[in-house]
Amino acid sequence: MNRKKGDKGFESPRPYKLTHQVVCINNINFQRKSVVGFVELTIFPTVANLNRIKLNSKQCRIYRVRINDLEAAFIYNDPTLEVCHSESKQRNLNYFSNAYAAAVSAVDPDAGNGELCIKVPSELWKHVDELKVLKIHINFSLDQPKGGLHFVVPSVEGSMAERGAHVFSCGYQNSTRFWFPCVDSYSELCTWKLEFTVDAAMVAVSNGDLVETVYTHDMRKKTFHYMLTIPTAASNISLAIGPFEILVDPYMHEVTHFCLPQLLPLLKHTTSYLHEVFEFYEEILTCRYPYSCFKTVFIDEAYVEVAAYASMSIFSTNLLHSAMIIDETPLTRRCLAQSLAQQFFGCFISRMSWSDEWVLKGISGYIYGLWMKKTFGVNEYRHWIKEELDKIVAYELKTGGVLLHPIFGGGKEKDNPASHLHFSIKHPHTLSWEYYTMFQCKAHLVMRLIENRISMEFMLQVFNKLLSLASTASSQKFQSHMWIQMLVSTSGFLKSISNVSGKDIQPLIKQWVDQSGVVKFYGSFAFNRKRNVLELEIKQDYTSPGTQKYVGPLKVTVQELDGSFNHTLQIEENSLKHDIPCHSKSRRNKKKKIPLMNGEEVDMDLSAMDADSPLLWIRIDPDMSVLRKVEFEQADFMWQYQLRYERDVVAQQESILALEKFPTPASRLALTDILEQEQCFYRVRMSACFCLAKIANSMVSTWTGPPAMKSLFTRMFCCKTCPNIVKTNNFISFQSYFLQKTMPVAMALLRDVHNLCPKEVLTFILDLIKYNDNRKNKFSDNYYRAEMIDALANSVTPAVSVNNEVRTLDNLNPDVRLILEEITRFLNMEKLLPSYRHTITVSCLRAIRVLQKNGHVPSDPALFKSYAEYGHFVDIRIAALEAVVDYTKVDRSYEELQWLLNMIQNDPVPYVRHKILNMLTKNPPFTKNMESPLCNEALVDQLWKLMNSGES
Amino acid sequence: MADTAAAGGAGGSGTRSGSKQSTNPADNYYLARRRTLQVVVSSLLTEAGFESAEKASVETLTEMLQSYISEIGRSAKSYCEHTARTQPTLSDIVVTLVEMGFNVDTLPAYAKRSQRMVITAPPVTNQPVTPKALTAGQNRPHPPHIPSHFPEFPDPHTYIKTPTYREPVSDYQVLREKAASQRRDVERALTRFMAKTGETQSLFKDDVSTFPLIAARPFTIPYLTALLPSELEMQQMEETDSSEQDEQTDTENLALHISTAHTETCL
Repeated sequence: MNRKKGDKGFESPRPYKLTHQVVCINNINFQRKSVVGFVELTIFPTVANLNRIKLNSKQCRIYRVRINDLEAAFIYNDPTLEVCHSESKQRNLNYFSNAYAAAVSAVDPDAGNGELCIKVPSELWKHVDELKVLKIHINFSLDQPKGGLHFVVPSVEGSMAERGAHVFSCGYQNSTRFWFPCVDSYSELCTWKLEFTVDAAMVAVSNGDLVETVYTHDMRKKTFHYMLTIPTAASNISLAIGPFEILVDPYMHEVTHFCLPQLLPLLKHTTSYLHEVFEFYEEILTCRYPYSCFKTVFIDEAYVEVAAYASMSIFSTNLLHSAMIIDETPLTRRCLAQSLAQQFFGCFISRMSWSDEWVLKGISGYIYGLWMKKTFGVNEYRHWIKEELDKIVAYELKTGGVLLHPIFGGGKEKDNPASHLHFSIKHPHTLSWEYYTMFQCKAHLVMRLIENRISMEFMLQVFNKLLSLASTASSQKFQSHMWIQMLVSTSGFLKSISNVSGKDIQPLIKQWVDQSGVVKFYGSFAFNRKRNVLELEIKQDYTSPGTQKYVGPLKVTVQELDGSFNHTLQIEENSLKHDIPCHSKSRRNKKKKIPLMNGEEVDMDLSAMDADSPLLWIRIDPDMSVLRKVEFEQADFMWQYQLRYERDVVAQQESILALEKFPTPASRLALTDILEQEQCFYRVRMSACFCLAKIANSMVSTWTGPPAMKSLFTRMFCCKTCPNIVKTNNFISFQSYFLQKTMPVAMALLRDVHNLCPKEVLTFILDLIKYNDNRKNKFSDNYYRAEMIDALANSVTPAVSVNNEVRTLDNLNPDVRLILEEITRFLNMEKLLPSYRHTITVSCLRAIRVLQKNGHVPSDPALFKSYAEYGHFVDIRIAALEAVVDYTKVDRSYEELQWLLNMIQNDPVPYVRHKILNMLTKNPPFTKNMESPLCNEALVDQLWKLMNSGES
Repeated sequence: MADTAAAGGAGGSGTRSGSKQSTNPADNYYLARRRTLQVVVSSLLTEAGFESAEKASVETLTEMLQSYISEIGRSAKSYCEHTARTQPTLSDIVVTLVEMGFNVDTLPAYAKRSQRMVITAPPVTNQPVTPKALTAGQNRPHPPHIPSHFPEFPDPHTYIKTPTYREPVSDYQVLREKAASQRRDVERALTRFMAKTGETQSLFKDDVSTFPLIAARPFTIPYLTALLPSELEMQQMEETDSSEQDEQTDTENLALHISTAHTETCL
């Protein structure tokens, strides 16, 4: 691990250079889930005495290795198969984590290691000394792979093609070694020739150009020949084979889409938008898409929703949707855009080492953000940035810092930058999934900070420079050292930033990239009337885990009566107080309009404010140019003004959050006004609903009038003549659709003085369900109906139970009976007329669990277990499993825990296995230092075994 | 003697029917004709040289003869009506006989044969009157432009209609209410039926019938049902595509939909 990195350029950790690789899979057996094939690597030794060649290979059975047609001896050893030796008695996370990190490094291609060690035959030593080309030919087979390749074989009648059986490559980071021997590193590029022989009814999709398809002599099989001339890392090689339906993009003929049988109409609709994403990226990067073709494949049982590989992306089939579906459309488009951004940065441009990963993730995330801004608007973009910022801040404050650019120089344990984590961050494979998600999130936020510093124009110039260098390099013939230009490194990236912009961003990089943690500000203020000065106090917490000290400029925006003013404060070591002079006199001119930040002038009712102060509201770091959490104190009326008049959605959202603490009629009015305002961003209005519900609950004793939002909903969505009946559905306006969906869910959270959901609200929701009429709607109402069930579930309050009597039908609460009636009907109707993605079943299952938890219905996991079985739609399974996990926790059931663990070990879908573990960690059946019958030695044994032997 | 046997037979039936004579004039009329036919058959048999015959065979031959004569009559009537007459003429009969494959030329010779027997004509009895159908109301007189020789109007109940009107429901609230409850009833009935006929799951251990949940059944290809729109939705999509939503016509459409929904429920 003692590589010197940085300005010295890239040095290959291997004593040879790979130039070309052939992958040939000549037999795929779906029945037995096995693969037979060979690979041929063309390498040039770079040192004279090369006698051992290390390659990566996992779970492949290797039959024979030949170098230049001479048999070669080889050793295969995979230390991750058993991380800690079975004889060792020590069992703790620390020990495991160290052992695991050691095992992963032992085979890390970036350190020149590998599982497969091939001895160069002595006859060739002379040949090697002359640094002449070696061709390594490896025959291998795979049987029932546990990772890397995923087989989906539905058990129905018919041939494999008729059944819709398919196989595809998948994995986390560099896991190509799971399905063929290679140098599984993002930094070892070579050209590729890929051949796959499949059943004549099947299609093989892989990277690069399809050169030809040749039938075998018996005409029962076809061989697909793919050629990838752009140097690509093995980790970006992928494959999908299945009886796909094929669609050539009508706008771009070099783009082809593939989906499983019967889904072609959905594919057509889903991909009809892709060309716009292409145009957008090509325009901002002023660079053509680097590959000569692009393929999208939609497959079932996907490992992740989106996986980008060289010139091809693999998506989950569940992203496909028809024109009637509203909610899924933006999500799917986001996935398409994300994968396309990764085509440029991640596939075409690869990384030098793991510690440069943040640059690629950052750039692809950043340009994806630009696409969001253009497509969904500035509001959505800012909302997204805020959401991502909140996520990373919450994660870092909870679990500790996320370090973007780890440098492992001295390698002493005590200055291990990630000692607070229970895993090593030296390798992508030792990270926790959540950490990696947060890592990506932070990366693109930091890119945005860089943009703030050097301007977007320069930023795009840098990207263009990287791309054009890479595309010049890619057209060079092999053995050229130019290929290194296609790898990006942190130092190279920073250098081109300083070349292009001439600005020094070193402090920024030091703060956010080389160092982990976020900033936590506490702000409060006082207005000094005599001096007409705002005395702002900003404190920082930099001692808690996951925080860091911030020194530098900080923008503060003050909205006064005379207008909005920006001030840049210099945050220094010891200064807490900052004096900001005010521009306006506190005496106000009654008739005058108040100018806002965006130049707009509005009339305000100023009666609520403090007569002595000209301050309307204050915002700290309004542009989110620091990765921070701000807790700011200002008076309730200031938050209300901010909500009503500040035009930035982030500010509105912040004020809504703050207003929860001020349950007053004025807050109520401000929120209701926002709810009614058509121009207001719909997400703000949606969160206003929930805030209003909370405020109403806090004010329950003084609340007058009908339940919150009811009259509003009636006015907006019910018939003029009969206010108790909702209009027939018309979801043409998406804003009001989302509001219509959300309002009842929020209303159901209302509670009366007895802490019960008001009868009026329940009846109202039941009426909404009853009168729901979608016959004249252009769009499907499945999400709407699902939310109505969520609303019903929200209205449930704990049952009054007399000394733990058994729940029977006879003592069922009449309101709950009505709710159950609806749930039963919905759930049963789903069997006859299933909704898109079974959203309604999912909501019903959740609602049933809520009823069980609140003691209305006997707690019983049997129903959920039947829905969790393999063969149900994945969303249903996850919802059911969530209920089982919850049951395991509440009822402390050993049996269910075993059932879950069994599923973790044996379920055919990796996503589900991962998700169960994820849910168990989020909602653990027991916690440390807690007495629980579940916590016993057998369980420890079992978990240890599970950790120790997995193939990651 | 064959004659006596036949006559005796005929006489026997005659006495039996005689006892009924007073009861039903219509029966009497038909019986007398039938008896004549029987006599004819018997005499023809005698003529053909039979000495005796079983009652059953005589009956069969009578039956055959009767249907033959009936067919001649029916057919002759058709021919005469075909030529727009009401009374059959000789030529009608001739055509009929020819049509039935009878050689008409042999008929005069046969009629004049020496050994033929002469039978007495059947006793004259009154043609039974067909009882009048129940009359309801007064038959309408002919309007002036119809000549009086045309048949009378049939009974009024066969053509007079009395439409009954119900005020069509157009109140929006009622319509919506009706649509909602109708759909709900159908859904509930359908799901209950499905639940009754198939496997179910229950939320309560002690009660399986109040909230029956249709058992979850895994699919072999789960994504197909989850992603593809159902037929109902497809149909709906086509409909809404052709007619864009319009607030004004909402009520009207709704009424239309209710009527179709109603027929569906009836089915």
